[in-house]
Amino acid sequence: MLDRLQTIPRYYVYLLLAAVVVWQVLFPIHLPIVPSASTRGVIDAIKAVPDDKLIIISTDWDASTQAETGPQTKAIIEACFQNHKRFAIMNLQPPVGVKLANDLAESAAKRYGARYGVDWCNWGYKYGYENVLLAMQKNIPLAVGKDFNGTPVAQLPMMKGVKNIRDIGLVVLVTGLANMTEMWVGLIQTPFRIPLAAGYTAVMAPGYYAYLDSDQLKGILVGAKGAAELESAVGRPDAATAIMNVQSWAHLLIIALIILGNVGQTLARKSSAETGR
Amino acid sequence: MSYHLLLIWAAALATLGVYSILYRENPVSRFFEHIFVGLAAGYIVATTWTQNLEGKWWDPMIVQGHWWWVFAPVVGILFYFIFSRRLSWLARLAMGLFFGVGAGTFFREFFPLLAPQIHGSFKPLLPLAATAASPGLGWADVVLHHWVFVVILLCVMSYFFFAIPHEGRFGSGLARASALGRWFLMIAFGAMFGNTVMARISLFIGRVQFLLNDWLGSFLPWFAHRGM
Repeated sequence: MLDRLQTIPRYYVYLLLAAVVVWQVLFPIHLPIVPSASTRGVIDAIKAVPDDKLIIISTDWDASTQAETGPQTKAIIEACFQNHKRFAIMNLQPPVGVKLANDLAESAAKRYGARYGVDWCNWGYKYGYENVLLAMQKNIPLAVGKDFNGTPVAQLPMMKGVKNIRDIGLVVLVTGLANMTEMWVGLIQTPFRIPLAAGYTAVMAPGYYAYLDSDQLKGILVGAKGAAELESAVGRPDAATAIMNVQSWAHLLIIALIILGNVGQTLARKSSAETGR
Repeated sequence: MSYHLLLIWAAALATLGVYSILYRENPVSRFFEHIFVGLAAGYIVATTWTQNLEGKWWDPMIVQGHWWWVFAPVVGILFYFIFSRRLSWLARLAMGLFFGVGAGTFFREFFPLLAPQIHGSFKPLLPLAATAASPGLGWADVVLHHWVFVVILLCVMSYFFFAIPHEGRFGSGLARASALGRWFLMIAFGAMFGNTVMARISLFIGRVQFLLNDWLGSFLPWFAHRGM
């Protein structure tokens, strides 16, 4: 009987998890979301950008992590528009991130009456990893070339006066890929003292807390939780807030299953020891 | 059926098809997996051309008449000599070039990447005042944070310190610190695994939201805005 607690068929676990998720998506019980210090670091960094400088939002993510990185990017774009900060979207890898981020920016720009090329622009997907960043150190219009729509970026009004990386006030990296942070920190943040903030998938975020402690990162958004906290900070609860409500209940189920499995194991061990005696 | 609705139905069928692997390995799941991989590869090829090669190589060479760009792909083509037994040394030339560039760039990144973290590890155990880097924290909080940081750092480092055996008069202290370091590492791995679970469930919730709100909501309006 007790052995059964440890050998629950995985289909039942999947079904139970799906049931909890569907229940909370359809009939949510809202839980409070309070921005953490690492999330406040991101919004503070955006607010601190001088008006004559640009923000780069590097959207190095794709559909496979969209549930976390999509809402993060959306909340960052909202924060930029709310604080009247000009920004450029770009991406080093994978290329689809720049298209998905473009859709988010277009939709938000309509609400804020922001104009493409004046308040925001999209530099597009730039292949070459470190080489792109090395080129941007010296000459951004040359390194970027044409934007997402095929217009030379030098012709965009907001690019007047933007020559090299020293004209950038903040880089916000949103990524589900390892090694992107190392490139930005090693080639841009530390050598040029350009503030850097990041949004990560929850899987990879723990590895980057050391960068927060050394002030190489101004703030971190951790998965959907970080996105929900930023949505709360900018006063626009959206997809990530909905995800986090569901997530909390799914976590409760997983914790209950872990406890159940361990109780089963302990009782089964005791019972077999007694039988053996 | 509108274009947008068609996209939603295609995405819903692909989602359900891929998730069918939860029951067992099956051809439907494989079919959608291959479509996803093919689409991603095709998209990379197309955008690499439209957003990189066209503007930076093709246009300068053809439109602006900078003919010398014709030599740029030569190094890339050298890679394909790997398939020839006789001329594979040509591929090694290209690989050597890329290894050299990669190593040089990495050396350039390495010091700026790690030096601030080494510097950041030297935390005062009794700071004179709460630092500006710790907003909202009082002096006692900062002291506690620094002590926790330093103790864990030393214990974890001692776990990876093999120059002295972890036994004997001096080694026994090291062994105790290293055992503690092992516990701290386990706690850190637990936190990382917890975050991994959170990430995976977020992705699943995102898909369920899509299926319920967008797909079912497209023909049963009651589902459209549930949970938002």
